Amino acid sequence: MEKRIARFIAGLRASGVRVSVAESEDAWKAIRHMGVMERELFKLSLRSTLIKDANDILIFEELFPLYFGTAAPPLMNPQAELSPQEQQMMQEAADEVAGDLQQLLDYLLNGRAPTQEELEQMAQQTGLDDANSTYQAGRYARRMQRLLNWDRLPEILEMLWEKLREMGMDPQQIAALQQRVQENMEALQGQLEQFAGERIQDNITEEWRDRRQNAYDLMQRPLEHLSETEMDILRDQVRRLAARLRSRVALRQKRSKKGKLDVKNTIRGNLRYGGVPIELKMRTKRKKPKLVVIMDVSRSMHNVTEFFLRLLYELQDQVQKTHSFAFYDHLENVTDDMQNNDIEKAIHIVLTKLPYKPYGTDLGKCLVDFNDDYLGIIDQRTTVIVVGDGRNNFNNPALDTFQDISKRARKTIWLNPEYPRQWGTGDSDMDKYEPLCTEVYVVRNLNDLTNAIDHMLAA
Amino acid sequence: MELQYDSVESVKTALGEQQYIASDEIATVLYLAEKLGKPLLLEGPAGVGKTELSKAWAKATGKPLVRLQCYEGLDESKALYEWEYAKQMLYTQLLRDKLAEVLSDADSLATAADQLANEEDIFFSERFLLERPLLQAINHDEPTVLLIDEIDRADAEFEAFLLEVLSDFQVSIPEIGTITAKQRPVVFLTSNNTRELSEALKRRCLFIFIDYPNVSEELDIVRIKVPELSEQMAKQAVEAVQTLRRMDLKKHPSVSETLDWAKALVTLNAESLDRETVENTLTVLLKYEQDISKARRILRGRDGGQGGRDLSEGGGSSYRGGDW
Repeated sequence: MEKRIARFIAGLRASGVRVSVAESEDAWKAIRHMGVMERELFKLSLRSTLIKDANDILIFEELFPLYFGTAAPPLMNPQAELSPQEQQMMQEAADEVAGDLQQLLDYLLNGRAPTQEELEQMAQQTGLDDANSTYQAGRYARRMQRLLNWDRLPEILEMLWEKLREMGMDPQQIAALQQRVQENMEALQGQLEQFAGERIQDNITEEWRDRRQNAYDLMQRPLEHLSETEMDILRDQVRRLAARLRSRVALRQKRSKKGKLDVKNTIRGNLRYGGVPIELKMRTKRKKPKLVVIMDVSRSMHNVTEFFLRLLYELQDQVQKTHSFAFYDHLENVTDDMQNNDIEKAIHIVLTKLPYKPYGTDLGKCLVDFNDDYLGIIDQRTTVIVVGDGRNNFNNPALDTFQDISKRARKTIWLNPEYPRQWGTGDSDMDKYEPLCTEVYVVRNLNDLTNAIDHMLAA
Repeated sequence: MELQYDSVESVKTALGEQQYIASDEIATVLYLAEKLGKPLLLEGPAGVGKTELSKAWAKATGKPLVRLQCYEGLDESKALYEWEYAKQMLYTQLLRDKLAEVLSDADSLATAADQLANEEDIFFSERFLLERPLLQAINHDEPTVLLIDEIDRADAEFEAFLLEVLSDFQVSIPEIGTITAKQRPVVFLTSNNTRELSEALKRRCLFIFIDYPNVSEELDIVRIKVPELSEQMAKQAVEAVQTLRRMDLKKHPSVSETLDWAKALVTLNAESLDRETVENTLTVLLKYEQDISKARRILRGRDGGQGGRDLSEGGGSSYRGGDW
């Protein structure tokens, strides 16, 4: 049982649930109190100690039956009630009919469960070691059955019963035997399925360990060169990064708290001491920034925009207010979409809101749109962030509009996935935008992006 | 206390006596939290009874409830302790003569200062300490139930500070020293999940996600809390609320709003849930104009036949009015 719980925890981790050592220790303690006899209580003890996120409950519910499923019943020895003489009979009959089903008959007629070694061997022969989706458990169990020549079993058993009848065994005894062998068949089938399910889960656990090592390397990889699986690994990584960023930002905020003396507030606050300034009130030096984000969602920018949104979403509490706009051939206000949906859905909505058109990008027009409709939301505490490659399809870059926006804002920051030497080549207007920005960051990979956001929030 | 609640069932009954209907899940986790001495993190949509649970538990165990409401900008001086400056000032003023007497035999400024330093403890004693909820819970002679409400509203820094308190149940006050809890409080934290809590905090807690109750659970709650409402009406009301929750609304009606609605229906002496009654009282359940108009639209669409009849009845009465 202990081993199984340990493996269950490893399985949870593999599925992306973070379980710390302290938490698994809590789980043990909880089980000691609750016992393992009542399944529902046992499950709740594990769940409340191991799962700390409502989203992970689903994963838990999915994995739990795999490890603590209604465990397949053990095999019984059907010959237990036979007399020595009858056992002898059985042995002879079985030897005669067995053929290449010897192993299977051995399990069923003697109630001997397959040993670990035999299971391993079957796993190897059926390719179970390469399976990595728990849905396949049933299929692999059937393959293992086939390996044991299960499909010929009914026929062989029929022969066996016939033989026994010929040898003069009591028909009632035979019926009882049939019943028990039938039970054994079901039990064996259950055991094989369980073995397959656990093995597959172990495989997934194993694979995940490799994946985590990769994550660090992937952070250095250009975002546009990532495969879908690699994107997945990095998506996991984003939350971790965001947590680190958050504590960094929060600390910075705390340390810089002491600003100049706030006279007005001090006088007001010390009225109760008769105006004697006992408690000094300081101005908070740094306020949480307000952000206006204008993102390019054209094909070439998808990955950068997605990770940027993810990081920003995780850091919402460090930002006072974010207005988000997506642009492609026109501008869309996506603030509400970002606010009212969880991140997965929000990103999907934002990225699909503006359908693909060949050579559609028109930043200039979008900036003018922004200037016309939303300029009011920019004040001197707002940081404007443009995420884009500055490739404008030779449309009017609307530089003076951009300058107006830039002047109004506290800061204008541009995140561009292209190297500076590419700026101004082809249809890129980046070289013209660049002098109008307060800061420009080159974000090639997730690492760059994290650093850029860190700088952004520091300002 | 320990003897009293030695099984999940007893926890459930105890909560039931406080008119709190606990699911098996809640009772089990609460029992575990009590046994392991771990804080309990309650998460779920607003108004499903997270705060209510801790209140009920405090009542059931007879422990005093200490509540700390979190908000943005909450800091240690609001949560833990503060020196009571005004009182210190007042005492210094009043004790001036006595101080002069004590210091009168000092022949130099240095000795006077030394003597004063000896008396310093008086001014930084627990007498002048203004206890805030956390210190109250720790310092209490009996075990307490500490409710840290809406922890997700507090800043990340406060969360870090809270970790220290929750892991050792001791706080250090520079002038006095370390105060360790005489009795470990039972801690409840609630969160509406407006932001992700830190891993470290989650690690220290047991977790339970409380969702909206299903029809029969909610019906039980309504029956217990608003017994005046007829069985038939309660059933209809709960079903209506559950339907609203399945709709795509800005804010779904919570359990507490169901109860408010039930009470409103009692007050209005409504005999059945006809369209008029529902439309008039919908504002109790839904708090956004868009939600209300959406719900109205659907309500009209759903029982169109009945709506038509209502309308014709209305027309008839006004016509009669004109005739008269």
